[in-house]
Amino acid sequence: MRLLLVDDELPARDRMRRLLAEIEDCEVVAEAGTGELAIAQCAELRPDIVLLDVRMPGLSGIEVARHIDSLEDPPAVIFTTAYDQYAVEAFETEAVGYLLKPVRKEKLAHALRHASRISPTRLAKLAESARIDHRRDQICARLGEQLKLIPVADIYYFLSDQKYITVRHRNGENLIDESLKSLAEEFAGDFVRIHRNALVAEKQISAVERCDDGHYVVRIRECGVVLEVSRRHAAELLRRIRGEA
Amino acid sequence: MSARAYGPRGPAPTLHLPDFCAARAILAVVLIVEMVAILFALARQSLQQNFWIDLASCSLFLLWLGLGCTSVLCRTRAWLQKMPVARASTIALSLLMLCVLVVSEVVYQLGQSWTFGAAGVFSLFPADHASFVLRNLGVGFIVSALALRYFYVSAEGKRNIEMAAQARIRALQARIRPHFLFNSMNTIAELTRSNPERAEQAVEDLADLFRASLSDAHTQIPLRDEFEIAKTHQRIEQLRLGSRLQVTWDIDTLPMRAQVPGLIVQPLLENAVYHGIEMLPAGGTISIVGTFRDGRIEIEVRNPIPLQHNYGEREGNRMALENIGQRLALAWPGRASIETRQEGSEFFARLVFPYTETAAAHFTS
Repeated sequence: MRLLLVDDELPARDRMRRLLAEIEDCEVVAEAGTGELAIAQCAELRPDIVLLDVRMPGLSGIEVARHIDSLEDPPAVIFTTAYDQYAVEAFETEAVGYLLKPVRKEKLAHALRHASRISPTRLAKLAESARIDHRRDQICARLGEQLKLIPVADIYYFLSDQKYITVRHRNGENLIDESLKSLAEEFAGDFVRIHRNALVAEKQISAVERCDDGHYVVRIRECGVVLEVSRRHAAELLRRIRGEA
Repeated sequence: MSARAYGPRGPAPTLHLPDFCAARAILAVVLIVEMVAILFALARQSLQQNFWIDLASCSLFLLWLGLGCTSVLCRTRAWLQKMPVARASTIALSLLMLCVLVVSEVVYQLGQSWTFGAAGVFSLFPADHASFVLRNLGVGFIVSALALRYFYVSAEGKRNIEMAAQARIRALQARIRPHFLFNSMNTIAELTRSNPERAEQAVEDLADLFRASLSDAHTQIPLRDEFEIAKTHQRIEQLRLGSRLQVTWDIDTLPMRAQVPGLIVQPLLENAVYHGIEMLPAGGTISIVGTFRDGRIEIEVRNPIPLQHNYGEREGNRMALENIGQRLALAWPGRASIETRQEGSEFFARLVFPYTETAAAHFTS
C-alpha cells in the first residue's frame, strides 16, 4: 500500500510515520504539511490511501478530500483528528474512516485494511456538518490529470452553464465542479450574485451601466468583460455597490 | 471597531404547558375532576338530601368543564408556547374562563328545557341563573390561575436544572480544553520515543497547567505566576507548532507582585494560537505587551488571524472571553475590563485592571 501523510504538525507526522513503519506492507510515499501540497502530491504520486488531518490551516482536511476525489481513480481517505466534536459526529453518521489522535497502532492497521473511497455526496455532507468554519482562500480546478489551485483573490467571476462552472481569473479561465449556490454562500462577503448563473467579485466591478431597455450590465475591471444583471438581482447589487448594508 | 463587553445570557422563558392532547393527560384530568366532585359532594352532604344524586350532578358538570378546558388547551398549546409568559398566561386564562362560561350557560339552559322551568322540583339542575354562572366563573378563575402558576413553576424548575447542568459542562470544558489536551497527548506520544527528555518536560508542563486550571476560581495569584502559566502553555504549543509559533513578551515594566485572578492571560494566548496561528500555514507572531500607569495594569495580546468575518463572535473564543470578564468583574467590580477588536487580519484583546498587592478589596472587606 502506498500512503500519503497529511498533517500540519511535524510531531504528528513523525509519530504516524513511525507507527506505519511497524505495520507490514505499508510505504509512505510522501508527506504534506498543507492541504495545497497534499493535492499536488496526490495528483503526482497517485497514493492508494491518504491519511488526512481534519484541522489544517488553509484548506481543511475535508476540503482536501473533496478536491482529490475529483481525480481519476481517487485514493481512499482516512481522516485523523485530535478533537473535533462535530467532525467526529459527521464521520460516525456518514460511516467514513477516521482515527483519533494519539492513534493506536492496532486501530491504524484496522483502518488501513478497511479504507475505502468516499463518495462525493458523502463528502459534501461531511463538509456541511463538520462545521469547520474556515473559508477557502483557494479554489481547486481540474486540468486533465492535474489539479490547479486558483487564489480566490485572483478570481473575477464564476459563470455557470448546464453542468460546469467557469472560473474567470487573472491567469485565464478554468472549469470547476461545484455549485454556484454553495460558492455564493461561502464567499458571500466578497462576491455578489448578479444573475442566476453569475457570481462576481465585488471589488472587480468597475461599473454598473444601465442599457436602453432598462437592463443593467456589470463591467469587470481587469478583463473588460460585460455581464448581464438579471432583474431579480439588480436591487441587491445596487445596494451593495452603493455601500448600503 | 467598537469594544465588546462579555456577560452571561440565556433564552427567554415561555409558558410551558403539558401536552393536553395525550391520553395520559386526559386520564389525569378525568381522575382529578372525579376526586374534586367527591370532595364537593362530601363537603355538601349536610345541605343535600341525597349524596349520590349530588355526586352525579357535580361530576357530570365538572367533567364537561374539565374536558372542555382540556380540549381548548390542547388546540392552543403550540400557539401559546410561542408567546412571552405574561401574554400567554392572560390569553390562556381568558380562554379557560370563556370555556367555563359556555359550559355553565349550556348546563343552565339544558336544565331549563328539561325541567320545563320548574327548577326547584328537580335538584339535578341549578335554579338561579346569574348566581350559578358567576359562582362558576369565580371558582374557575381561581383554579385556572393556580393551575397555570403550577405549570409555570414546575417547568421553570426543570429549566433551571437543565441550565445548571449545561453551565457545569461548559465550565468543565473551559478548564480541560479537549483540543489542546488531545493534541498535546499526541505530541508527547511521539516524543516518548524520539526525545524522552522533552517528553518528560512536556508531561511536567501539562501537569502544572492542569493544576492551575483546576484550582479554585476565586484564588488570586501573583502576576508573575500567571505569566509563568502562560509561558508553560507556550512551551507545549511550541513543541507541536515549531517555528510557526513566535511569541514576544514585552512585560518588564509590570509590577510582578500584583495579585490577579488565575488564568486571565493564559486563555488569551491559547485563543491566539487556536484561532490565529494554527489557522495560518506560515504561522505568525503573538505579541503580549504590558503597560503600567496611574495604578492601572494593561495587558494587550495581539495576534494575526486568517481574513474572516466575526472572529470575536466565534463560540470558543467568546466563551473564553466571557469567562475572563466574569472573573475580572468578581475581583474588581466595575473597575476592570476586557475589550477586543479586530483590525484587518489582526485581533486584539486587552485587559485593564487596578494594581493591588494583597488580595483584592472585594475579598478583604
